[in-house]
Amino acid sequence: MSRLEFLRYVTIGQYLARESIIHRLDPRFKLLAFGLIIVAITFSTTYLANVILVLMVVLLLILSKLPLGHTLRGLRPALPALAFLALFQVLFPPQTFGSANDCSVLLRWRFVELTSCTLQLILVSTARLVELFVLTSLLTFSTTTTELVHGTEGLLAPLQRVGFPAHELSLVVTIALRFVPTLALQMERLVKAQIARGADFGTSGRLGFIRAIRRLLPLLIPLFLISLRRSEALIVAMDARGYTGGRGRTRLRRLQARPADYLALVVVAAFCAATLYVDHASLDQSLVAWLRTLLRSLRGY
Amino acid sequence: MKEPAQPLIEIRDLHHTYQGDGGAPVDALRGVELTVRDGEFMAIVGANGSGKTTLARHFNALLLPTRGHVRVAGLDTRHREAWSAVRSQVAMVFQRPEDQIVATTVEDDAAFGPENLGLPTAEIQRRAEWALRTVDMWEHRDRPPHLLSVGQQQRVAIAGALAMRPRCLVLDEATAMLDPAGRRQMQDLLCKLHDEGMTVVLITHWMNEATLAQRVVALREGRVAFDGAPEPFFSDLQTLDALRLEPPPFSLLASKLAQHHPGFPGGVLTLDGLMDAIARLVPEPLEQPQTAAPRPVPTDVRGPSLVVTRDLHHTYLADTPLAANALNGVSMEAHTGGVVSLVGSTGSGKSTMLQHIAGLLEPRSGQVTVLGHDLHRDRGADRRSLRGRIGILFQRPEEQLFETYLGDDVAFGPRQLGLDRETVRERVRWAMHIMGLPFQAYKDRFTQSLSGGERRKAALAGVLALRPEVLLLDEPTAGLDPQSRRDLLGVLHHLNGAEGMTLILATHNMDDVAVLAERVYVLEEGRVVMQGPTREVFTHASRLQALGLDVPPAVKVMTALQERGMCTATDVLTIDEAAAAILRCIPAPQSSPMTEQTRHEEA
Repeated sequence: MSRLEFLRYVTIGQYLARESIIHRLDPRFKLLAFGLIIVAITFSTTYLANVILVLMVVLLLILSKLPLGHTLRGLRPALPALAFLALFQVLFPPQTFGSANDCSVLLRWRFVELTSCTLQLILVSTARLVELFVLTSLLTFSTTTTELVHGTEGLLAPLQRVGFPAHELSLVVTIALRFVPTLALQMERLVKAQIARGADFGTSGRLGFIRAIRRLLPLLIPLFLISLRRSEALIVAMDARGYTGGRGRTRLRRLQARPADYLALVVVAAFCAATLYVDHASLDQSLVAWLRTLLRSLRGY
Repeated sequence: MKEPAQPLIEIRDLHHTYQGDGGAPVDALRGVELTVRDGEFMAIVGANGSGKTTLARHFNALLLPTRGHVRVAGLDTRHREAWSAVRSQVAMVFQRPEDQIVATTVEDDAAFGPENLGLPTAEIQRRAEWALRTVDMWEHRDRPPHLLSVGQQQRVAIAGALAMRPRCLVLDEATAMLDPAGRRQMQDLLCKLHDEGMTVVLITHWMNEATLAQRVVALREGRVAFDGAPEPFFSDLQTLDALRLEPPPFSLLASKLAQHHPGFPGGVLTLDGLMDAIARLVPEPLEQPQTAAPRPVPTDVRGPSLVVTRDLHHTYLADTPLAANALNGVSMEAHTGGVVSLVGSTGSGKSTMLQHIAGLLEPRSGQVTVLGHDLHRDRGADRRSLRGRIGILFQRPEEQLFETYLGDDVAFGPRQLGLDRETVRERVRWAMHIMGLPFQAYKDRFTQSLSGGERRKAALAGVLALRPEVLLLDEPTAGLDPQSRRDLLGVLHHLNGAEGMTLILATHNMDDVAVLAERVYVLEEGRVVMQGPTREVFTHASRLQALGLDVPPAVKVMTALQERGMCTATDVLTIDEAAAAILRCIPAPQSSPMTEQTRHEEA
């Protein structure tokens, strides 16, 4: 019954300590760079741009000295969904991707047809999902939750001046991160206790939905009450330790950017700009066209 | 002579009133007068509801007086501007460590207080390191708190308080959740801090812990009922009884001896004190110790084996980087109608064992047979027939209630079993009756308005309503006050004796074991390292202590006497038995009718 081990599902804080450039980056810069790459991935719809992005992600992974197998293992549960998505796109391609448009038909079987545009959509979207996944894992494996929180707070700090509650927000995130595993353990204990009293969290029969909710009440109500009680206790404890809000507070860790951090950000930004340019200018189409001309002219000789 | 120390906390005519559950005002404090002096080690004791926690929260302005004054280092706590200064001078540690840790790593948490004080980064780092080194947690500074043991978490909580560099440390039941080793470490730490000049205020309902202090303050109904040295206080059994407090075990034993032996000195608090007092009555070590014939050890062949585990292995979070072996080949058995105890320090695998017996975990390898069914071979129908026949009470069961009304919560189990209305009702009535929660009076009470002790009883009633043949209990008395603990032990005794229920008890409280269990399995790191009848296991006191466990005070006394060659009796578990055994060893006072009577009783 390993499904009763709720900590299994808590993937926060899966930090893997390594001595690498990526691990040493200032979290603010790491987050910014991360954001830039996400933007680049989101807008890249062409083959060439995605090839570049895949190479970039792989390069980062090598630089971070993280184990490739462990990082990719998390993808396994997503594979059926990816396959299903691909199938769906083949069976029901968007109107604009039909053979009537600028797309060539690669395969036709009964009413199903695979055009070059659909193929591109499938390959590119799969590539993007994989890139996003690996990148996110890279961030969580190479950055402690504390660094993440401090990085976020550091990035939001300038907004504090216009009344944005940057400190409060980061404290909320810290406390949430702190208590998610604790509540997962609590939930596990509740599930076991109720199972031992004859509760059944397994199969759902007729009216499954309503019964499922009714079955959850023995878990949700105590969990809710426990959380309330805990938050009350936490408030008292924070009060006792002199917490009076963000004003006048100092930090144990002061983030100090080094030239390397700026350099890394500039490199990533340049990389992303280049990728987006490649994508926007559809350089791969021109590349393909150019290759075709080249082939044709070669054949001519 | 030391100069009288400066007053640190001055409390004058303190009253505190708060809104009770029904909206009616409750007077928690009614005119407390108290001065805590710099460098003192003070214990505050009192029964449930006597106002201990409320008083403590006035020490650093977590609560403000309804009437009267509280001054900390001369600052009136009513002034909001003073709070920051007050809280940096008087730091608090609470009962549940996991509810006071704010940050995601140990070091960040230690830094939380100094960060709030607005100190420079270098100073915060220095203080966090100093505080963590003081509590011996510096090596764990990068770990997330939920992966620490409860004892370690509580040390982190203390480090968080120390990092404020307070003059006074207030601990509100801060050892209640710890195992004996954790508690000893904590007490040593407090003594060390006090030696270094820290003012320590220890709030506790365990009197033997209170004997560490130099001054005891006892509260009754929101007023100071006693304020003075611990020795006279703890020897005065009548006053203790009037305050609904239990005497510390060594004082209790001393006063029992004094009843029969007028020459026995009063004011004995510690084991050493007791030894000295007895040594004065036994002029020289006896050549041939007068031993009582050892009581026949109850044999184990009682009924058929109800629960058997063979070579059980278990790994948590298997196949992840966090994988941890919890059980490494545990074999044990429990007979019908027996009481078996699994003991061991935190993380030794006790809870994991109970969950295996309850069929909630699947072993990596090994076998669990319960009520004649192999839990992992017999699936489906056979296994379903076990539903309701094994009951398990988890840690802090009072948090697991979910129905609005108590009666419904207790009825949850029987209803899930698909029993008819009448049977459900009859079982609920029976279970609530056994737990001392009369059906008519309690069935329509709101579960959340009950006290902590009542909620724990209600949770146990919910398990009992299944009418289990085997009852598994995980730390059933942890965090309870002495009165609730005594009640619960009484109920368990009844369930085993009158109802014939087989009990398996996982605990680190050796007093519970001494009262209840016939057979003990001592676990360490997922292995059985000692086993046998309770009395026999307790004769290995030093080995148990090395395992982070303890022995009951009576066993401690007899072991010490034996080491000094003053008295030998091997099968003593309770204070009464110890008193009887010691009286056999010391020469009877001349013409004491009391002693005659005791002899009579023993014959």
